Amino acid sequence: MNVEQIISSGLLEGYVLGMTTEEESALVRDLCVKHPELLEEIQQIESALIGLGSQQTPAPNDNLKDRIASQIQFSNAEPEARVVPLNRVEPVAGKSFGYRLAVAASVALLIASSVYIYTLHRQVSDLENRLADASASNTMLSVEMAAEKESMHKLAANFSIVSDPGMKAIPLNGMNSLATRSAMVHWNPETNDLYFNATALPPSPGDKQYQLWAIVDGKPVDAGVIALENGVVFQKMKPITGAKAFAVTIEAYGGSPSPSLDTMCLLGNV
Amino acid sequence: MGIISYFRENKRSIKKVTYTQDELIVLIREKNQKAFSYLYDNYSKALFGVIYHITNDQEEAEDVLQNVFVKIWNHFSSYDEQKGRLYTWMLNIARNMAIDSTRSKHEKVKNKIQEASDTVYHRNRMYTENSSHETIGFKTLIAGLKEDQQQIIDMAYFQGFTQEEIAGRLGMPLGTVKTKVRQAILMLRELTKKEILQ
Repeated sequence: MNVEQIISSGLLEGYVLGMTTEEESALVRDLCVKHPELLEEIQQIESALIGLGSQQTPAPNDNLKDRIASQIQFSNAEPEARVVPLNRVEPVAGKSFGYRLAVAASVALLIASSVYIYTLHRQVSDLENRLADASASNTMLSVEMAAEKESMHKLAANFSIVSDPGMKAIPLNGMNSLATRSAMVHWNPETNDLYFNATALPPSPGDKQYQLWAIVDGKPVDAGVIALENGVVFQKMKPITGAKAFAVTIEAYGGSPSPSLDTMCLLGNV
Repeated sequence: MGIISYFRENKRSIKKVTYTQDELIVLIREKNQKAFSYLYDNYSKALFGVIYHITNDQEEAEDVLQNVFVKIWNHFSSYDEQKGRLYTWMLNIARNMAIDSTRSKHEKVKNKIQEASDTVYHRNRMYTENSSHETIGFKTLIAGLKEDQQQIIDMAYFQGFTQEEIAGRLGMPLGTVKTKVRQAILMLRELTKKEILQ
Protein backbone atom coordinates (compact mmCIF):
# COMPACT_ATOMS: atom_id res chain seq x y z
CA MET A 1 0.00 0.00 0.00
CA ASN A 2 1.34 3.41 -0.86
CA VAL A 3 0.63 6.56 1.14
CA GLU A 4 -2.30 7.68 -1.02
CA GLN A 5 -3.96 4.29 -0.78
CA ILE A 6 -3.58 4.25 3.00
CA ILE A 7 -4.98 7.76 3.31
CA SER A 8 -7.95 7.11 1.05
CA SER A 9 -8.80 3.78 2.72
CA GLY A 10 -10.47 5.45 5.72
CA LEU A 11 -8.18 3.48 8.04
CA LEU A 12 -6.71 6.61 9.62
CA GLU A 13 -10.14 8.13 10.34
CA GLY A 14 -11.19 4.90 12.00
CA TYR A 15 -7.95 4.90 14.00
CA VAL A 16 -8.53 8.37 15.43
CA LEU A 17 -12.17 7.59 16.17
CA GLY A 18 -11.10 4.44 18.04
CA MET A 19 -13.03 2.23 15.65
CA THR A 20 -10.12 0.11 14.48
CA THR A 21 -9.30 -3.37 15.74
CA GLU A 22 -6.06 -3.96 17.61
CA GLU A 23 -4.51 -5.40 14.45
CA GLU A 24 -5.54 -2.39 12.40
CA SER A 25 -4.18 -0.02 15.04
CA ALA A 26 -0.89 -1.90 15.05
CA LEU A 27 -0.84 -1.61 11.27
CA VAL A 28 -1.38 2.16 11.46
CA ARG A 29 1.45 2.41 13.97
CA ASP A 30 3.82 0.50 11.71
CA LEU A 31 2.77 2.51 8.67
CA CYS A 32 3.41 5.78 10.54
CA VAL A 33 6.95 4.64 11.24
CA LYS A 34 7.44 3.87 7.55
CA HIS A 35 5.64 6.95 6.28
CA PRO A 36 5.92 9.85 8.76
CA GLU A 37 3.66 11.96 6.50
CA LEU A 38 0.74 9.83 7.71
CA LEU A 39 1.18 11.34 11.16
CA GLU A 40 0.42 14.76 9.72
CA GLU A 41 -2.77 13.35 8.17
CA ILE A 42 -3.75 11.77 11.49
CA GLN A 43 -3.20 15.06 13.29
CA GLN A 44 -5.44 16.86 10.82
CA ILE A 45 -8.20 14.30 11.26
CA GLU A 46 -7.84 14.66 15.01
CA SER A 47 -7.95 18.46 14.82
CA ALA A 48 -11.13 18.34 12.75
CA LEU A 49 -12.79 16.07 15.31
CA ILE A 50 -11.58 18.16 18.24
CA GLY A 51 -12.88 21.23 16.46
CA LEU A 52 -16.25 19.60 15.94
CA GLY A 53 -16.51 18.48 19.54
CA SER A 54 -15.48 21.87 20.85
CA GLN A 55 -17.99 24.01 19.11
CA GLN A 56 -21.21 22.13 19.28
CA THR A 57 -22.33 22.80 22.86
CA PRO A 58 -22.06 25.37 25.61
CA ALA A 59 -18.58 25.41 27.13
CA PRO A 60 -17.98 24.02 30.61
CA ASN A 61 -18.06 26.46 33.49
CA ASP A 62 -14.93 28.61 33.79
CA ASN A 63 -14.13 27.41 37.31
CA LEU A 64 -14.15 23.74 36.28
CA LYS A 65 -10.43 23.73 35.50
CA ASP A 66 -9.58 24.87 39.03
CA ARG A 67 -12.09 22.46 40.47
CA ILE A 68 -10.40 19.55 38.70
CA ALA A 69 -6.90 20.80 39.51
CA SER A 70 -7.78 20.74 43.20
CA GLN A 71 -8.74 17.06 42.88
CA ILE A 72 -5.51 15.80 41.38
CA GLN A 73 -1.88 15.79 42.40
CA PHE A 74 1.04 17.33 40.59
CA SER A 75 4.72 16.59 40.87
CA ASN A 76 5.58 20.27 40.41
CA ALA A 77 3.58 23.01 42.05
CA GLU A 78 3.96 26.10 39.94
CA PRO A 79 4.33 29.38 41.81
CA GLU A 80 1.77 31.12 39.62
CA ALA A 81 -0.70 28.32 40.02
CA ARG A 82 -3.89 29.16 41.83
CA VAL A 83 -3.71 28.97 45.61
CA VAL A 84 -5.48 26.02 47.10
CA PRO A 85 -7.19 27.10 50.34
CA LEU A 86 -5.80 24.13 52.27
CA ASN A 87 -2.23 25.20 51.56
CA ARG A 88 -2.83 28.74 52.76
CA VAL A 89 -2.64 27.75 56.43
CA GLU A 90 0.70 26.02 56.01
CA PRO A 91 3.70 28.13 56.99
CA VAL A 92 5.88 29.20 54.06
CA ALA A 93 9.03 27.93 55.73
CA GLY A 94 7.53 24.50 56.23
CA LYS A 95 6.55 24.42 52.59
CA SER A 96 10.04 25.20 51.33
CA PHE A 97 11.56 22.74 53.80
CA GLY A 98 9.15 20.12 52.59
CA TYR A 99 10.08 21.01 49.04
CA ARG A 100 13.79 20.72 49.77
CA LEU A 101 13.19 17.49 51.55
CA ALA A 102 11.26 16.21 48.54
CA VAL A 103 14.08 17.22 46.20
CA ALA A 104 16.68 15.60 48.45
CA ALA A 105 14.56 12.49 48.66
CA SER A 106 14.14 12.43 44.88
CA VAL A 107 17.88 12.79 44.33
CA ALA A 108 18.61 10.09 46.87
CA LEU A 109 16.01 7.87 45.25
CA LEU A 110 17.48 8.56 41.83
CA ILE A 111 21.00 7.63 42.98
CA ALA A 112 19.74 4.59 44.81
CA SER A 113 17.79 3.40 41.77
CA SER A 114 20.78 4.01 39.49
CA VAL A 115 22.99 1.92 41.75
CA TYR A 116 20.29 -0.70 41.98
CA ILE A 117 19.82 -0.80 38.22
CA TYR A 118 23.58 -1.02 37.71
CA THR A 119 23.80 -3.90 40.18
CA LEU A 120 20.89 -5.62 38.51
CA HIS A 121 22.54 -5.13 35.15
CA ARG A 122 25.76 -6.68 36.47
CA GLN A 123 23.84 -9.59 37.90
CA VAL A 124 21.94 -10.14 34.71
CA SER A 125 25.07 -10.19 32.53
CA ASP A 126 26.78 -12.48 35.06
CA LEU A 127 23.80 -14.81 34.93
CA GLU A 128 23.80 -14.65 31.14
CA ASN A 129 27.47 -15.70 31.06
CA ARG A 130 26.85 -18.55 33.46
CA LEU A 131 23.87 -19.66 31.45
CA ALA A 132 25.96 -19.65 28.27
CA ASP A 133 28.68 -21.72 30.01
CA ALA A 134 26.14 -24.12 31.38
CA SER A 135 24.46 -24.66 28.04
CA ALA A 136 27.85 -25.10 26.32
CA SER A 137 28.94 -27.78 28.78
CA ASN A 138 25.49 -29.28 28.50
CA THR A 139 25.97 -29.63 24.75
CA MET A 140 29.40 -31.15 25.24
CA LEU A 141 28.06 -33.59 27.78
CA SER A 142 25.30 -34.73 25.47
CA VAL A 143 27.82 -35.22 22.65
CA GLU A 144 30.04 -37.27 24.96
CA MET A 145 27.02 -39.15 26.17
CA ALA A 146 26.03 -40.05 22.61
CA ALA A 147 29.58 -41.29 21.91
CA GLU A 148 29.54 -43.35 25.11
CA LYS A 149 26.21 -44.83 24.15
CA GLU A 150 27.48 -45.78 20.74
CA SER A 151 30.59 -47.51 22.09
CA MET A 152 28.40 -49.25 24.65
CA HIS A 153 26.24 -50.57 21.86
CA LYS A 154 29.31 -51.76 19.97
CA LEU A 155 30.71 -53.46 23.04
CA ALA A 156 27.39 -55.15 23.69
CA ALA A 157 27.22 -56.29 20.06
CA ASN A 158 30.81 -57.59 20.20
CA PHE A 159 30.11 -59.30 23.48
CA SER A 160 27.10 -61.12 22.06
CA ILE A 161 29.25 -62.27 19.11
CA VAL A 162 31.96 -63.56 21.42
CA SER A 163 29.39 -65.18 23.74
CA ASP A 164 28.01 -67.37 20.96
CA PRO A 165 28.58 -71.02 22.08
CA GLY A 166 29.75 -71.98 18.57
CA MET A 167 32.43 -69.30 18.62
CA LYS A 168 36.00 -70.41 19.30
CA ALA A 169 38.43 -68.02 20.93
CA ILE A 170 41.96 -68.50 19.59
CA PRO A 171 44.79 -66.61 21.26
CA LEU A 172 47.54 -65.41 18.91
CA ASN A 173 50.94 -65.16 20.56
CA GLY A 174 53.46 -62.51 19.66
CA MET A 175 56.75 -63.28 17.96
CA ASN A 176 59.62 -61.32 16.40
CA SER A 177 58.79 -57.61 16.57
CA LEU A 178 55.66 -58.19 18.69
CA ALA A 179 57.13 -60.84 21.01
CA THR A 180 55.54 -59.35 24.11
CA ARG A 181 52.12 -58.74 22.49
CA SER A 182 49.09 -60.87 21.79
CA ALA A 183 45.73 -60.75 20.05
CA MET A 184 42.60 -62.86 19.76
CA VAL A 185 40.73 -64.44 16.89
CA HIS A 186 37.11 -65.46 17.31
CA TRP A 187 36.03 -68.03 14.75
CA ASN A 188 32.89 -70.09 14.33
CA PRO A 189 33.89 -73.25 12.36
CA GLU A 190 30.23 -73.95 11.52
CA THR A 191 29.19 -70.56 10.20
CA ASN A 192 32.77 -69.60 9.17
CA ASP A 193 32.33 -66.18 10.84
CA LEU A 194 35.68 -64.70 11.78
CA TYR A 195 36.50 -61.73 14.03
CA PHE A 196 39.81 -60.17 14.99
CA ASN A 197 40.28 -58.65 18.42
CA ALA A 198 43.20 -56.20 18.41
CA THR A 199 42.65 -54.74 21.88
CA ALA A 200 46.27 -55.36 22.90
CA LEU A 201 47.93 -54.63 19.56
CA PRO A 202 50.06 -51.50 18.95
CA PRO A 203 49.28 -49.38 15.87
CA SER A 204 50.85 -50.73 12.69
CA PRO A 205 54.08 -48.91 11.73
CA GLY A 206 53.72 -46.01 9.23
CA ASP A 207 52.52 -47.05 5.81
CA LYS A 208 52.07 -50.72 6.77
CA GLN A 209 49.03 -52.69 7.86
CA TYR A 210 48.45 -55.90 9.76
CA GLN A 211 47.04 -58.73 7.64
CA LEU A 212 45.37 -61.87 9.00
CA TRP A 213 45.96 -65.23 7.42
CA ALA A 214 44.23 -68.54 8.02
CA ILE A 215 46.28 -71.70 7.58
CA VAL A 216 44.03 -74.05 5.64
CA ASP A 217 45.45 -77.39 4.47
CA GLY A 218 48.96 -76.10 5.26
CA LYS A 219 48.55 -73.03 3.03
CA PRO A 220 47.94 -69.40 4.08
CA VAL A 221 44.57 -68.00 3.02
CA ASP A 222 43.95 -64.23 3.13
CA ALA A 223 41.47 -63.37 5.89
CA GLY A 224 41.61 -59.60 5.34
CA VAL A 225 43.55 -56.50 6.31
CA ILE A 226 43.17 -55.20 9.85
CA ALA A 227 42.03 -51.58 9.76
CA LEU A 228 43.29 -50.31 13.10
CA GLU A 229 43.43 -46.69 11.96
CA ASN A 230 39.91 -45.84 13.00
CA GLY A 231 40.51 -47.08 16.51
CA VAL A 232 38.53 -50.17 15.68
CA VAL A 233 39.72 -53.03 17.87
CA PHE A 234 37.10 -55.64 17.07
CA GLN A 235 36.73 -56.28 13.38
CA LYS A 236 34.81 -58.73 11.25
CA MET A 237 37.16 -60.55 8.85
CA LYS A 238 36.59 -62.65 5.74
CA PRO A 239 34.78 -65.95 6.38
CA ILE A 240 37.19 -68.87 6.68
CA THR A 241 36.53 -72.61 6.35
CA GLY A 242 38.62 -75.37 7.87
CA ALA A 243 41.39 -73.30 9.44
CA LYS A 244 44.04 -75.09 11.50
CA ALA A 245 45.86 -71.94 12.60
CA PHE A 246 45.82 -68.14 12.24
CA ALA A 247 48.75 -65.82 11.68
CA VAL A 248 49.30 -62.06 11.33
CA THR A 249 51.97 -60.50 9.15
CA ILE A 250 52.88 -56.86 8.56
CA GLU A 251 52.26 -56.01 4.91
CA ALA A 252 52.30 -52.95 2.70
CA TYR A 253 49.23 -50.73 3.01
CA GLY A 254 46.20 -52.51 1.51
CA GLY A 255 47.59 -55.97 2.10
CA SER A 256 49.38 -58.57 -0.06
CA PRO A 257 48.07 -61.57 -2.01
CA SER A 258 50.58 -63.79 -0.21
CA PRO A 259 52.20 -63.37 3.22
CA SER A 260 55.80 -62.32 3.69
CA LEU A 261 56.85 -64.84 6.29
CA ASP A 262 59.70 -62.75 7.71
CA THR A 263 57.20 -60.14 8.97
CA MET A 264 55.01 -62.65 10.79
CA CYS A 265 54.27 -61.23 14.23
CA LEU A 266 51.38 -63.26 15.66
CA LEU A 267 50.56 -66.96 15.46
CA GLY A 268 48.04 -69.23 17.14
CA ASN A 269 46.73 -72.76 16.58
CA VAL A 270 43.04 -73.58 16.55
CA MET B 1 -2.81 35.87 0.13
CA GLY B 2 -0.90 38.33 2.27
CA ILE B 3 -3.87 38.91 4.49
CA ILE B 4 -4.49 35.21 4.93
CA SER B 5 -0.92 34.48 5.96
CA TYR B 6 -1.02 37.47 8.30
CA PHE B 7 -4.04 36.01 10.04
CA ARG B 8 -2.43 32.61 10.19
CA GLU B 9 0.68 34.05 11.78
CA ASN B 10 -1.45 36.02 14.16
CA LYS B 11 -3.41 32.95 15.20
CA ARG B 12 -0.24 31.04 15.76
CA SER B 13 1.35 33.73 17.91
CA ILE B 14 -1.73 33.86 20.13
CA LYS B 15 -1.32 30.19 20.97
CA LYS B 16 1.20 29.90 23.75
CA VAL B 17 2.88 26.50 23.69
CA THR B 18 2.32 23.52 21.46
CA TYR B 19 3.40 20.11 22.60
CA THR B 20 3.60 17.13 20.32
CA GLN B 21 1.67 14.13 21.55
CA ASP B 22 4.91 12.45 22.67
CA GLU B 23 6.05 15.49 24.65
CA LEU B 24 2.66 15.78 26.27
CA ILE B 25 2.66 12.11 27.25
CA VAL B 26 6.04 12.49 28.94
CA LEU B 27 4.80 15.50 30.88
CA ILE B 28 1.61 13.74 31.95
CA ARG B 29 3.64 10.74 33.12
CA GLU B 30 5.68 13.16 35.23
CA LYS B 31 2.40 14.52 36.61
CA ASN B 32 3.54 17.93 35.55
CA GLN B 33 1.02 20.67 36.20
CA LYS B 34 1.76 22.24 32.81
CA ALA B 35 0.61 19.03 31.21
CA PHE B 36 -2.74 19.21 32.99
CA SER B 37 -3.15 22.82 32.01
CA TYR B 38 -2.35 22.07 28.40
CA LEU B 39 -4.57 19.02 28.37
CA TYR B 40 -7.46 20.97 29.77
CA ASP B 41 -7.01 23.99 27.53
CA ASN B 42 -6.76 21.92 24.37
CA TYR B 43 -9.12 19.02 24.93
CA SER B 44 -11.67 19.89 27.60
CA LYS B 45 -14.06 21.64 25.22
CA ALA B 46 -14.05 18.78 22.74
CA LEU B 47 -14.47 16.16 25.46
CA PHE B 48 -17.15 18.26 27.10
CA GLY B 49 -18.95 18.47 23.76
CA VAL B 50 -18.97 14.70 23.45
CA ILE B 51 -20.07 14.23 27.07
CA TYR B 52 -22.78 16.87 26.82
CA HIS B 53 -24.03 15.24 23.69
CA ILE B 54 -24.67 12.08 25.70
CA THR B 55 -25.83 13.51 29.05
CA ASN B 56 -27.71 16.47 27.58
CA ASP B 57 -27.29 18.23 30.93
CA GLN B 58 -24.74 20.94 31.67
CA GLU B 59 -24.18 20.13 35.32
CA GLU B 60 -23.98 16.39 34.79
CA ALA B 61 -21.61 16.90 31.87
CA GLU B 62 -19.33 19.02 34.04
CA ASP B 63 -19.28 16.37 36.75
CA VAL B 64 -18.45 13.72 34.18
CA LEU B 65 -15.72 15.87 32.64
CA GLN B 66 -14.20 16.31 36.09
CA ASN B 67 -14.23 12.56 36.68
CA VAL B 68 -12.79 12.01 33.21
CA PHE B 69 -9.83 14.28 33.91
CA VAL B 70 -9.23 12.74 37.33
CA LYS B 71 -9.28 9.31 35.72
CA ILE B 72 -6.96 10.38 32.90
CA TRP B 73 -4.58 11.83 35.46
CA ASN B 74 -4.64 9.02 38.01
CA HIS B 75 -4.83 6.10 35.58
CA PHE B 76 -2.52 7.37 32.92
CA SER B 77 -0.41 4.23 33.26
CA SER B 78 -3.21 2.34 31.53
CA TYR B 79 -2.76 4.44 28.40
CA ASP B 80 -0.65 2.62 25.81
CA GLU B 81 0.52 4.95 23.06
CA GLN B 82 1.25 1.88 20.95
CA LYS B 83 -2.45 1.16 20.78
CA GLY B 84 -3.82 4.51 19.73
CA ARG B 85 -3.85 8.29 19.92
CA LEU B 86 -3.99 10.05 23.26
CA TYR B 87 -7.12 11.90 22.14
CA THR B 88 -8.77 8.62 21.11
CA TRP B 89 -8.07 7.17 24.55
CA MET B 90 -9.47 10.23 26.31
CA LEU B 91 -12.46 10.25 23.98
CA ASN B 92 -13.23 6.64 24.89
CA ILE B 93 -13.03 7.39 28.60
CA ALA B 94 -15.27 10.43 28.18
CA ARG B 95 -17.89 8.54 26.18
CA ASN B 96 -17.92 5.58 28.52
CA MET B 97 -18.16 7.68 31.67
CA ALA B 98 -20.91 9.80 30.14
CA ILE B 99 -22.85 6.69 29.17
CA ASP B 100 -22.33 5.24 32.67
CA SER B 101 -23.51 8.47 34.22
CA THR B 102 -26.73 8.68 32.24
CA ARG B 103 -27.32 5.00 32.77
CA SER B 104 -27.09 5.24 36.55
CA LYS B 105 -29.26 8.33 36.49
CA HIS B 106 -31.88 6.57 34.44
CA GLU B 107 -31.66 3.52 36.59
CA LYS B 108 -32.32 5.54 39.69
CA VAL B 109 -35.48 6.91 38.14
CA LYS B 110 -36.78 3.84 36.45
CA ASN B 111 -37.63 0.61 38.20
CA LYS B 112 -35.89 -2.75 38.23
CA ILE B 113 -37.13 -3.90 34.84
CA GLN B 114 -34.97 -1.26 33.27
CA GLU B 115 -31.84 -2.86 34.76
CA ALA B 116 -32.07 -5.58 32.18
CA SER B 117 -31.35 -3.04 29.47
CA ASP B 118 -27.99 -3.76 27.98
CA THR B 119 -25.55 -1.32 26.50
CA VAL B 120 -26.85 -1.73 22.98
CA TYR B 121 -30.36 -0.94 24.04
CA HIS B 122 -29.17 1.98 26.07
CA ARG B 123 -27.05 3.43 23.34
CA ASN B 124 -29.86 2.91 20.90
CA ARG B 125 -32.21 4.84 23.08
CA MET B 126 -29.80 7.68 23.58
CA TYR B 127 -29.17 7.88 19.93
CA THR B 128 -32.82 8.38 19.11
CA GLU B 129 -33.30 10.71 22.07
CA ASN B 130 -30.46 12.93 21.09
CA SER B 131 -30.95 13.06 17.38
CA SER B 132 -33.59 15.74 17.64
CA HIS B 133 -31.34 17.73 19.90
CA GLU B 134 -28.33 17.63 17.58
CA THR B 135 -29.94 19.59 14.82
CA ILE B 136 -30.40 22.47 17.23
CA GLY B 137 -27.01 21.88 18.85
CA PHE B 138 -24.48 22.10 16.08
CA LYS B 139 -25.31 24.93 13.85
CA THR B 140 -21.97 25.60 12.30
CA LEU B 141 -19.56 22.77 11.48
CA ILE B 142 -21.95 19.87 11.46
CA ALA B 143 -24.49 21.87 9.48
CA GLY B 144 -22.00 21.92 6.65
CA LEU B 145 -22.27 18.14 6.32
CA LYS B 146 -24.88 16.28 4.34
CA GLU B 147 -27.56 14.60 6.39
CA ASP B 148 -26.15 11.07 6.01
CA GLN B 149 -22.69 12.39 6.90
CA GLN B 150 -24.08 14.03 10.02
CA GLN B 151 -25.67 10.78 11.01
CA ILE B 152 -22.54 8.71 10.51
CA ILE B 153 -20.30 11.21 12.36
CA ASP B 154 -22.80 11.27 15.18
CA MET B 155 -22.68 7.50 15.51
CA ALA B 156 -18.92 7.14 15.04
CA TYR B 157 -17.76 10.11 17.07
CA PHE B 158 -20.36 11.13 19.60
CA GLN B 159 -21.93 7.73 20.27
CA GLY B 160 -18.81 5.65 19.83
CA PHE B 161 -20.34 2.90 17.73
CA THR B 162 -18.00 0.44 16.09
CA GLN B 163 -17.82 0.21 12.33
CA GLU B 164 -19.68 -3.09 12.46
CA GLU B 165 -22.44 -1.60 14.58
CA ILE B 166 -22.87 1.28 12.17
CA ALA B 167 -22.88 -1.06 9.19
CA GLY B 168 -25.54 -3.20 10.84
CA ARG B 169 -27.64 -0.25 11.96
CA LEU B 170 -27.58 1.58 8.66
CA GLY B 171 -27.70 -1.62 6.61
CA MET B 172 -24.63 -0.83 4.53
CA PRO B 173 -21.41 -2.75 3.84
CA LEU B 174 -18.41 -2.14 6.10
CA GLY B 175 -16.44 -0.64 3.23
CA THR B 176 -19.17 1.94 2.63
CA VAL B 177 -19.11 2.90 6.31
CA LYS B 178 -15.37 3.51 6.12
CA THR B 179 -15.70 5.58 2.97
CA LYS B 180 -18.56 7.63 4.39
CA VAL B 181 -16.70 8.31 7.64
CA ARG B 182 -13.72 9.44 5.64
CA GLN B 183 -15.77 11.70 3.36
CA ALA B 184 -17.52 13.25 6.34
CA ILE B 185 -14.24 14.00 8.10
CA LEU B 186 -12.73 15.36 4.88
CA MET B 187 -15.68 17.72 4.66
CA LEU B 188 -15.17 18.71 8.30
CA ARG B 189 -11.53 19.46 7.57
CA GLU B 190 -12.53 21.68 4.68
CA LEU B 191 -15.03 23.50 6.86
CA THR B 192 -12.51 23.91 9.67
CA LYS B 193 -9.98 25.37 7.26
CA LYS B 194 -12.53 27.87 5.99
CA GLU B 195 -13.46 28.81 9.50
CA ILE B 196 -9.84 29.50 10.46
CA LEU B 197 -9.38 31.71 7.42
CA GLN B 198 -12.54 33.69 8.06
